[in-house]
Amino acid sequence: MTRVRVEGIVKRFGDTPAIEGVSLDVRPGELFTLVGPSGCGKTTLLRIIAGLLEQDAGRVLFNEERVDDVPSYLRNIGVVFQNYAIFPHLTVGENIAYGLKARRVPPDRIATKVAETARLVQLEGLLDRMPAQLSGGQQQRAVLARALVIEPRLLLMDEPLSNLDAKLRVQIRSLIRALQRTLRITTIYVTHDQEEALAISDTIAVMDRGRILQVGKPWELYLRPAARFVADFIGTMNVVHAKVEGPGPGPGALTVVTDFGERWQVRAAGSPGQPISLGIRPESLHLTPGTNTAEGWNALKGTVTEVVYLGAVVRYQVRASENLLVTAEIHNPDFGAICGVGDRLTLWFAAARAIPMPGETGAA
Amino acid sequence: MARRRRDFWWSVTLLAFLAVLAFLVYPLATVLVTSFTGEEKRFVLAENYHRFFTHRYYYSSVINSLTLSALATLGALLVGTTLAFAVARYPLPGKTFLRTAANLALLSPPFIGAYSWVVLFGRMGLVNRALSAFGWSLPTIYGWRGILLVFVVQYFPFVFLLVSAALRSVDQSVEDAALSLGSPPRRTFRTAILPVIAPSLTAGALLTFMASMADFGTPMIIGEGLRTLPTLMYGEFINELGGNPAMASTLGSLLILVNTAALMAQRYYAFRKAYNVVCIQPLTVRRTSARRRLPLTVFAYGVVCVALIPSTTIIISSFMPTRGPVMYAGFSLQSYQSIFHVIPRAITNTFVLTALAVVLDVLLGVLVAYLLARRRSRAHALLDALIMLAYAIPGTVVGVGLIVVYNRPPIILTGTWIILLVSYFIRHLPYPVRSCTAMLQQIDIRVEEASVSLGVPPFRTFLKVTIPLMFPAILSGAALAWMTTIGELSSSILLYSGPWATMSVAIFTEVFSNHFGTASALASILIVAAFVPLFLTYRVLGERAALGM
Repeated sequence: MTRVRVEGIVKRFGDTPAIEGVSLDVRPGELFTLVGPSGCGKTTLLRIIAGLLEQDAGRVLFNEERVDDVPSYLRNIGVVFQNYAIFPHLTVGENIAYGLKARRVPPDRIATKVAETARLVQLEGLLDRMPAQLSGGQQQRAVLARALVIEPRLLLMDEPLSNLDAKLRVQIRSLIRALQRTLRITTIYVTHDQEEALAISDTIAVMDRGRILQVGKPWELYLRPAARFVADFIGTMNVVHAKVEGPGPGPGALTVVTDFGERWQVRAAGSPGQPISLGIRPESLHLTPGTNTAEGWNALKGTVTEVVYLGAVVRYQVRASENLLVTAEIHNPDFGAICGVGDRLTLWFAAARAIPMPGETGAA
Repeated sequence: MARRRRDFWWSVTLLAFLAVLAFLVYPLATVLVTSFTGEEKRFVLAENYHRFFTHRYYYSSVINSLTLSALATLGALLVGTTLAFAVARYPLPGKTFLRTAANLALLSPPFIGAYSWVVLFGRMGLVNRALSAFGWSLPTIYGWRGILLVFVVQYFPFVFLLVSAALRSVDQSVEDAALSLGSPPRRTFRTAILPVIAPSLTAGALLTFMASMADFGTPMIIGEGLRTLPTLMYGEFINELGGNPAMASTLGSLLILVNTAALMAQRYYAFRKAYNVVCIQPLTVRRTSARRRLPLTVFAYGVVCVALIPSTTIIISSFMPTRGPVMYAGFSLQSYQSIFHVIPRAITNTFVLTALAVVLDVLLGVLVAYLLARRRSRAHALLDALIMLAYAIPGTVVGVGLIVVYNRPPIILTGTWIILLVSYFIRHLPYPVRSCTAMLQQIDIRVEEASVSLGVPPFRTFLKVTIPLMFPAILSGAALAWMTTIGELSSSILLYSGPWATMSVAIFTEVFSNHFGTASALASILIVAAFVPLFLTYRVLGERAALGM
């Protein structure tokens, strides 16, 4: 199993910076995801690790060994590309065997390994087909097999699911995850889809504008985002601005007053008079019609501006103040919990559910 | 850390630059410089140009060339576009035949087309002699009328092919949307369809214009003394009273100027007006009443029949008994027998030289295309422009340039076969370069990267993945280069010497010595030889891929 370290990588395209000093440590055998909006530099970083692109500064190490001067074809990596990059002039079997032939593996050994890997990705019986005769999902499994069959020390995947329809995406996602776990192969996975990142990863790194904003387990990123960008990119976050009034009822608690005048108890640190930003996930909010308040819960009053009924979930947009539109998701809603546009209502949440957010301008 | 190693691709770049500089840029520069040279090699600013523009003998040639080319372009646009629309949008019978026939018209070189019209309608022509039996006569085919006829018949397929391809890329939804927004059909065509096909339309116009400007054989054979820039240039250079290279170069410089300007204007226009179109459902065939369909059918079949007349005439006349320029009814192999007495080596010369040139064009063209598409730098952009220049420069000018440069030490190539090969090679290099670059732009670079990541080094990846994927483009580039090289006349007529005459030269001289029989026999062989590789490519790849359009 390979440990991958990336140190101080910088890459520019002409005058445009693509990556501005990125360092990472990918543990052996884990599935590490780079997630970020398009143009954030995640694919560029992947291509540098693959050796398909040369960095301007910084180093890449596989198990403490520098590989910057090792050309791509000697790095022994498997790469799965966004639009398959299947060899259209070769059969599925020849596609899978391609890397083995380059390694001068004896033909009978190639045949066994190709058959073995094809079984792994559920492509048995299709080895004599041409790529054009395959569906998108089959093509994606073929290139996955092609990358895995060479037993690479590292698997790199660049948005491997983006050309598939929603159902197939989930199917192949599980296949990738299962194979990666069985083969215990260090994998770096690039995607712009936060849901995919949450579902598949051991560790996620969120990238924006050529920098890494936060690295952590999926739930760490979701529950304790280190930057506003992370909070917004991974899921949805309502951000409320408030001022610290004084210490709260318990240890580590604070009383704060929001800029629209509600008094809340939250778990955070701060001194009186200090401004504070609080993040509340839509699903942390509960709802009662009307404007009653109750002890022990933080409340938020407002008027419904939009209702999206999705069956299992109702999503509300609630105008809490002139500057604040809150998104609330009510799960498993019963008749009493269904309001209409224009209704006045109260949203509730537990003190522990307010996440102290790093300042709007600086990082955490 | 960007490493610039002197690797294989660096050598290819160097080699390509050397070839283009030595065989194109330097000769053309010499032509330009020579046009500013007076007697005893002193530099004169405008003496030659002054002489050119003050003597009617000279300046009439530029007027003739420009007028003829402009009219030919107009004619080809009208015929080609109408035919393209008729075939694409109306339910005409036998569309495959119409398309194939239009393509076939491109096969024979224009001077052979000119000769075929002389065979039919010339003074001793088959039709004229038949009519004179009844005491009738036709207006003369010689002069500007004949030239124009040849050009339009010869070049309308350019427009037809390009516009047809462009029409295939217009989605039916575009027309539907315009009509549904209340735009009447005529306005819909003008405002929604025409702008999308305009780049192809202008590309067809450019090809016609440049080819008409450059054509040497047609005005020589059917022009009867009508001076155009290439014929006058040839006459000034090969003058029995001692050539005048300075005046020939002046004419050559004007040709370079006009064609390069036309090329750049079209490139600029097409670059600004090129739209990315996504086409799922191409424009559909319209249902029309038989009464409206009839004139279109008559027009389409009329056009392709006229387009097929030249090759048909040549092949039939090659089997007729002849005496001088006069052909008689009947069947005879006399013409084919006499070929081998007259110029036995012309056929082998042509095949060997064409094959060599095409092989060299393909070898260098494939490598250069890869550089242009995959490793583009400023140097490669320049290389691209220079190679495209070969497209625009008339053969007569290249021929004169090569002679002026390579008839004196340190390198003397005149009088050898090498100089013919050089001209063929450099003039037709754009075909494989174009077809392969276009293909590479459609091949996802990640396919090559996948191969590299699987452990195959870049150059072996090029051989194992890129070349097989480029194969259709290589084939069609080679077929087009072969087709255009094998009938090349305008530089051959200047560059050949003694034993190195080619078939095109032989046909030309036979026509001028009134040996129409041998001329027809040789021309028939030429047409078939030009046709076979393109036909095979069609069979392998299908029509659209073969023409690389």
